[in-house]
Amino acid sequence: MRSWLGPLLFGLIVAVAAACAAIAAIPYGLMNVAIDRLGQGGINRMAYGNLANPDRQPVVRPSPDLAYSSCPYDLSAGPVAIDVAPVPGRYSSLSIFDAATDVIFVRNDVEAAGKPYRIIVAREGQAVPAGVETVRTDHDRGIALIRLLLKDPSEIGQLDAARRQSSCAMVTKLK
Amino acid sequence: MKSGHRYAITLVGGLAVGLGAAWAITGRGLSDGQIANGPWTTSLGYGTKATDAVTRAAVARAGLLALPAKETVYWSAKSDAAGAPLDGNCRYSLSGAPLDARWWSVTLYDTAGYLVANDTKIWSVNGANVALDAKDEWRVTISPDKPAEGAWLPGTKGQLFHLTLRMYNPGGGFRADPAKAVLPRIVKEGC
Repeated sequence: MRSWLGPLLFGLIVAVAAACAAIAAIPYGLMNVAIDRLGQGGINRMAYGNLANPDRQPVVRPSPDLAYSSCPYDLSAGPVAIDVAPVPGRYSSLSIFDAATDVIFVRNDVEAAGKPYRIIVAREGQAVPAGVETVRTDHDRGIALIRLLLKDPSEIGQLDAARRQSSCAMVTKLK
Repeated sequence: MKSGHRYAITLVGGLAVGLGAAWAITGRGLSDGQIANGPWTTSLGYGTKATDAVTRAAVARAGLLALPAKETVYWSAKSDAAGAPLDGNCRYSLSGAPLDARWWSVTLYDTAGYLVANDTKIWSVNGANVALDAKDEWRVTISPDKPAEGAWLPGTKGQLFHLTLRMYNPGGGFRADPAKAVLPRIVKEGC
């Protein structure tokens, strides 16, 4: 029996280490899956997703009342600018999630006073254009998500052009 | 048995136990800020900057890309007013007063949180498409077959379902005490 004491202690340490490593890795893994599924249009580009239905559910519990536009971003080559154009009179919001799934920025149409605005996402130390509102993050990758509320799914026809006014792109000019 | 074999066995066992424990610990949803209101439960911890690894992993599994509570409160119901699991073969009355929020909707999902195909392509009701009666209340029937009259949210024949109630920009009165807010009633009428 004594010959099992060492192996059992070892197994216990392995179990604790594996649990800690897995818990730390879960958010990053799930975020990578979401970036891959939402990023069909590429990285640092806004994808104007079709409305959720049983055949298109990129994330768990998608809302069939929302038109989701998403920009999976990667800051390794430089900051990314997100331009948001709220649609008058309806709920919309921009939320930015980092690679660890934490929310680093949220603004809705009322907070934006219904006006278009630009947000730059940059890592600490990256140069950004002067005078533009900047969100700093410790991670290269993440997702910027715009939600636009529909009273009825058929409204997407008339609102699609309006939501395509929102975009995201790498910052190429610092002035 | 050689010593090396014993270590190999406990290595494999330790890995399995550790990974299983990690999945179990992070799969119970959020305990932080958990609130119950009748059959509805929510956590006000979504969309906040997690302070520890377990909370962060639990949020990532239960509500990836979810908004913080100031922006949207997500309520979930798995049972009716009597505490019985929501059954897609049964008929329910979902009713209530307009909710204290800029916008609200109720969406029907399978137990894993995904939309289920139905012929009418209706998966939700919201504050803009329900009619109010003389008492300023709205009422929707959840059932596998279309009711003779009134608004309908198609049920999921042959399987259990969950409901998610979203409140966008909830009002100050609601946010002061979400546990006492008046939320929609879910009453089973028959199977």
